[in-house]
Amino acid sequence: MRRWLVFAMAVSLWLAVSACAPTATKKEAFPGMYQERPLSILVLPPINETTAADAKEYYSTTLAEPLSYMGYYVFPIEVVMDMMQHEGAYDTETLMNVPPQKFKEYFGADAVLFVRITKWDTAYYVIGGHVTVGVDFHLKSTTTGVDLWKYDGILQVSTGGGGGGGGGGLAGLIVQIVVTAVNTATADYVPIAKRANAIVISTIPTGKYHPMHGQDQDTRVIKRK
Amino acid sequence: MRRLALSVVAACVLLSACAKAPLTYNWGEYSSSLYKLKKDPSDENLQNHKQALVQIIQGSAQQSLRVPPGVYAEYGYILVKEGKIEQGIKYLDLEAQTYPEAKVFVERVKAQAIQPPNEKEQKQ
Repeated sequence: MRRWLVFAMAVSLWLAVSACAPTATKKEAFPGMYQERPLSILVLPPINETTAADAKEYYSTTLAEPLSYMGYYVFPIEVVMDMMQHEGAYDTETLMNVPPQKFKEYFGADAVLFVRITKWDTAYYVIGGHVTVGVDFHLKSTTTGVDLWKYDGILQVSTGGGGGGGGGGLAGLIVQIVVTAVNTATADYVPIAKRANAIVISTIPTGKYHPMHGQDQDTRVIKRK
Repeated sequence: MRRLALSVVAACVLLSACAKAPLTYNWGEYSSSLYKLKKDPSDENLQNHKQALVQIIQGSAQQSLRVPPGVYAEYGYILVKEGKIEQGIKYLDLEAQTYPEAKVFVERVKAQAIQPPNEKEQKQ
């Protein structure tokens, strides 16, 4: 019994260690974050590179929470989007060429976050399907204009109806297709987007309100780009 | 038994190297009520979202937590847009008090919200 316990512990230890599977420390990957130590992040309206027209509005509801939990002051995204609409600058594409310093002047933000939605789609198969959400983050300093943090991720979740059971014949197949189609149609992208965010955002060095602020230089992240 | 205890300690050390110490906020129903509002910008959903914001503010106070960033400001902004200027400004100021780094932003919001660019707007 005890031996079994030790074995189980060894396995979970191995899992824990490999879950951290490294290629760079946060300091190596994002040195600018430690030099500038931005306090506040202005999230611009996400750039939608997909064909799903509603992705931008829906996705924008998922960003404030995870960023705040990493210790940053996050400007209220809804208010920012609304104000930008007033200024005729709802399309972040047009803001890409604005000098980042402007955001410091206008909003007092230390850093500005460009988020692209790279994937927001569903695929149907005969007996299954999946929903894919891809996001790409790019944080720029509003003092130096330098890239502070960059990360991206794609998450695919299968939506196939419960699977298995075997048999069923033709009628079974038809039912399955219907189930899949229904599931995928109502499949909510938002929970998947939240999981994608959680993965990507965990790589940003922690901000002022996080207890680990300034102590996570050696935390390892899987290097991207 | 001793070895077991030792390996538990080792496990804790290793795991805590990866784990982050928690930073706690009460975000309540924020993302779901906002999502509903985006999906269907009806007055009912707006009221629900406002209610969610109020609950975050109250819940945070009960738990002695800092109100999450942006929540005071978002609530204040909605109030101002509804014409409840004085009340709205109070919440906008609370944002800047809670988060001094929001000061420039809050002043900007106040300036813009109180004299909206002559446009009866609020499309979605």
